[in-house]
Amino acid sequence: MTSDELEQLLVQQPVAVLHRLARGRVHRHFRAGKRRLIELILQHSSQNLAGLESDVLALIAERQSHPQPPQPPARPASRAVVAPPRRTAPRSGEQETTEAAVSLAAWLEGIGVPAPQPFVPDPWQEDALAALDETDVVVSVPTGSGKTYVAVEAAKRAIAHNQTVIYTSPLKALSNTKYTEFSRIFGIDKVGILTGDRQENGQAPLLIMTTEILRNLLYDAASGEIDIRLDTLGLVILDESQYIADPERGVVWEETIIFCPSQAKLLLLSASIGNPQDIADWLTSIRPTTCRLVRHSKRTVPLRAGYLHPNGKLVPLFKTATIPSGHAGHLHPEAKRLFFEYEEETLPSGRPRR
Amino acid sequence: MPPSIHPVDLIASLRQKHLTPAIVFLTSRRACDEAMESFDHADIVLPPVRQDAIAAALERVIAQYPSVADHPLIPTVQRIGVAAHHAGHLPSWKIAIEELMRQGCLDAVFATTTLAAGVDFPARTVVITQSSIRKSRDFTDLTIGEVQQIAGRAGRRGKDQVGFAVVTPSPYIDLGVLTKGFTGHPESIDSQFTISYPMVLNLLKAHPHEQIHAILAKSFAQFQLNQRAELLERKLDALHVQMEPFGPRVCTDWVSQWQTFDQVRRQRPQRHQVRRHESPELSARFHFMTPGRVVGLARGRGIVLRQYRSKGQKNPMISVLRLDGAVTECPASNVGDIFDRVFECDETPAFPWCSAASFDELSYQLTELPARLPTLPIMVPKDSEVLPDAIVQSLGDFPCPSCPSRPACQKDFATALRLRQEQHRHTKSIQALRASLWHRFQERVEVLQKFGYLSPSAHLTDEGEWARLIRIDHSLLITELIRAEAFTGADPALLTGVMASITHDDDRPGSFPRISSGLSSLLGQVRKLAESLSPYEDPPLLRADVAALAERWIADPTLTWIGLCRLTTMAEGDIYRLLARTLEFLSQIHTLRATHPGLAETASRAIALIRRGVLEELP
Ligand SMILES: Nc1ncnc2c1ncn2[C@@H]1O[C@H](COP(=O)(O)OP(=O)(O)OP(=O)(O)O)[C@@H](O)[C@H]1O
Ligand SMILES: [Mg+2]
Repeated sequence: MTSDELEQLLVQQPVAVLHRLARGRVHRHFRAGKRRLIELILQHSSQNLAGLESDVLALIAERQSHPQPPQPPARPASRAVVAPPRRTAPRSGEQETTEAAVSLAAWLEGIGVPAPQPFVPDPWQEDALAALDETDVVVSVPTGSGKTYVAVEAAKRAIAHNQTVIYTSPLKALSNTKYTEFSRIFGIDKVGILTGDRQENGQAPLLIMTTEILRNLLYDAASGEIDIRLDTLGLVILDESQYIADPERGVVWEETIIFCPSQAKLLLLSASIGNPQDIADWLTSIRPTTCRLVRHSKRTVPLRAGYLHPNGKLVPLFKTATIPSGHAGHLHPEAKRLFFEYEEETLPSGRPRR
Repeated sequence: MPPSIHPVDLIASLRQKHLTPAIVFLTSRRACDEAMESFDHADIVLPPVRQDAIAAALERVIAQYPSVADHPLIPTVQRIGVAAHHAGHLPSWKIAIEELMRQGCLDAVFATTTLAAGVDFPARTVVITQSSIRKSRDFTDLTIGEVQQIAGRAGRRGKDQVGFAVVTPSPYIDLGVLTKGFTGHPESIDSQFTISYPMVLNLLKAHPHEQIHAILAKSFAQFQLNQRAELLERKLDALHVQMEPFGPRVCTDWVSQWQTFDQVRRQRPQRHQVRRHESPELSARFHFMTPGRVVGLARGRGIVLRQYRSKGQKNPMISVLRLDGAVTECPASNVGDIFDRVFECDETPAFPWCSAASFDELSYQLTELPARLPTLPIMVPKDSEVLPDAIVQSLGDFPCPSCPSRPACQKDFATALRLRQEQHRHTKSIQALRASLWHRFQERVEVLQKFGYLSPSAHLTDEGEWARLIRIDHSLLITELIRAEAFTGADPALLTGVMASITHDDDRPGSFPRISSGLSSLLGQVRKLAESLSPYEDPPLLRADVAALAERWIADPTLTWIGLCRLTTMAEGDIYRLLARTLEFLSQIHTLRATHPGLAETASRAIALIRRGVLEELP
């Protein structure tokens, strides 16, 4: 077949077949329209047209032997639209692979509310607070671990020493939430919030603002136009500091850290990132004391992953109830089978979703 | 609508398995709203106790944020115990939903992934329906960090023994991305340091020019550049060790000596003579067009596979791998940007100039490059390295032919030259890494000098003194507009309209109120200026329709929030954000009261006018 003939053949195929051909050949093929898709497939297989040709023919043969089920008419937002893949009768022959895998019941076990327990700070929280007496601290722990406790406790200690504390968050919405939360904890008169055009309680010992506002304050201070009492500043808390890697705004975190007065301690709170040691080493290299890194990656509330098939069937996603760290391939055979079935059934519709 | 589980069935499944409360992450705001609408005909009704609990919780939120009171979705939320939370909503409504969720009043919330960032919004279960998200107008796979941030919302401390992350498929979901995200180690993060005009002005206000180098050196960017440089330095050390067996010879620099001798002897055309016809810039830039380097060409980007000189004209040439997988030959002078990004490239002496594995890897990397890449600043050496003519004058001047080292030189030359070239390349890269921030800074200084914000000695001029207070995006455009007196005589509505069009960076179309002729002509002027500044600063979208909306809010103080929302198809959350951002810009202009009292006064009046209704509810 010449490449022109091959192109002709491709043009005659439904888009679904083209998408299947593109799988593994063309990156992000689902975004391309039909014409573009053909172009891309040909381009990427230009070294191996023969291979492409045999794949096309195989696919055509396969389609002829299994005629596709008619597609349901598309009526958006109506319940009838949803075509839950037909339930396939459970195949008992597959049990030998399922043996090692966790059962749904075991996966769901333990679901529910724990008995109330007195609040005991975690060791890492104590660690961070103790280190903060001496030096700057970088905390990198999973979402929902309890970073706020460290921030609040550290702020309490600094305020007790008559120091000013600044807490920054990346988002105004988050600042507002924290303003409410901290006002409840510290008392309304102890907490202030600063935005571009407003100051509420600007003389309070605990000030909440976005990182941009703090950066501006530090610039003003550097050029001698002090707006707030930076000389009594004892602690700067940068929450969600993984934002330092934000393409547009990350630079603001760097500026803030570079210009943070040396007498104030820095507390960086971050979700889990790959290289928190780099951040700590960087702080050590530019700040007066050796920065302390507090990190762990174990979730306090264990997490399990599941797979919910469009027909409502729920199965564990992995062979084990807990997430098998480092083993993306350890899928639950049932989840694997259902997802494969799903892909097979949905692909022929071929319409890019977005 | 693709075959994925119906929202009503989804919630029913979760309830049945006691997996509520849950956050269901959907791809778009539209998907969230449609999911809510799909409950319209479902016969699900919460028991009265729970409905009352929702009403009571809302009551408390409304006391603080009155705008929540007449939200059209309240009856639905109360009836079904499910809500949506996305950027199209007002902040006060989002606060209300967050509060309901915190108090355990809701069974589920449909949300977009923007929720993943930082908002305290935990649940027992998180449902994931996608493996990619929209970032700057393009879909990108979720990173491991992002998957973990999303999944991490599941399982509340003190309220749950276990948390659940449930994947439910929609077409084109890539299960691999998610399983890798669940099980993987989060990515390392990299500095995204950029040097802006206000940063330069503020640095130079507080510190003398000669201290800036040291300040930039304190950045995380420089820390990471140094790490890379140190890696190269270790390679360099290794190269030194490899060079050791070759020395010492009769002459110290025997490699160059032999190279020149060898060339003259073979009557090869002189490389160095040719180089003299090139501009020093091109020679300097050509140095960086090494295999693996990402470069910008007139049509798209590419990765350099080899550099060479054309046979005929001896022009510096490169072979480039293009996005479509083709390898093209191109004169080095056609290269636009040289980006600060180099990939490993296993070079080979024949087409396609690198190993098959490298070729595949590079082709893949090329498609994966982010839209914005830092360019590499390139130093042009003062005296381009031209060999003194005297050396090449005649063969007779060379000591080589009768030198006792001759056999050794002849034998080792090829290897030694390769090692030396590698050393040279590393040295250059190290220099570039160590100095790149400084060069970027200098580039900005030059622009600011050209526009008169900095004196030739890099001190702030009178203009620079006030311009440094504008510390927002598009600062150059804004300060230039002020200097051009574009706002003289403008009323608060006009000023607000222009600022709104400068802040707004979303190109989603919609219908908007009509624009006044005054604002329209002023925007024409702004557009012209923005275009003329485009070599120095990316121009904003400057949408007139969006400007008109902001203008209306100021021009008609009797206009209610609901009235404003009726004038446009823009979502109210977006209108809120537009006005809030405009407020930020205006408050920066307000800081110019010492030098521009009239303008600052207009800004302050505009701020007072914007701050009404829902825009007054939050600080
Ligand atoms: N030592 C502790 N023992 C029990 N519960 C705790 C402890 N520390 C924190 N918590 C609780 O854990 C929950 C989550 O805490 P928090 O919001 O501070 O997490 P976070 O680390 O800031 O998460 P995010 O990444 O979402 O910002 C809160 O309800 C908090 O009361
Ligand atoms: Mg937090």
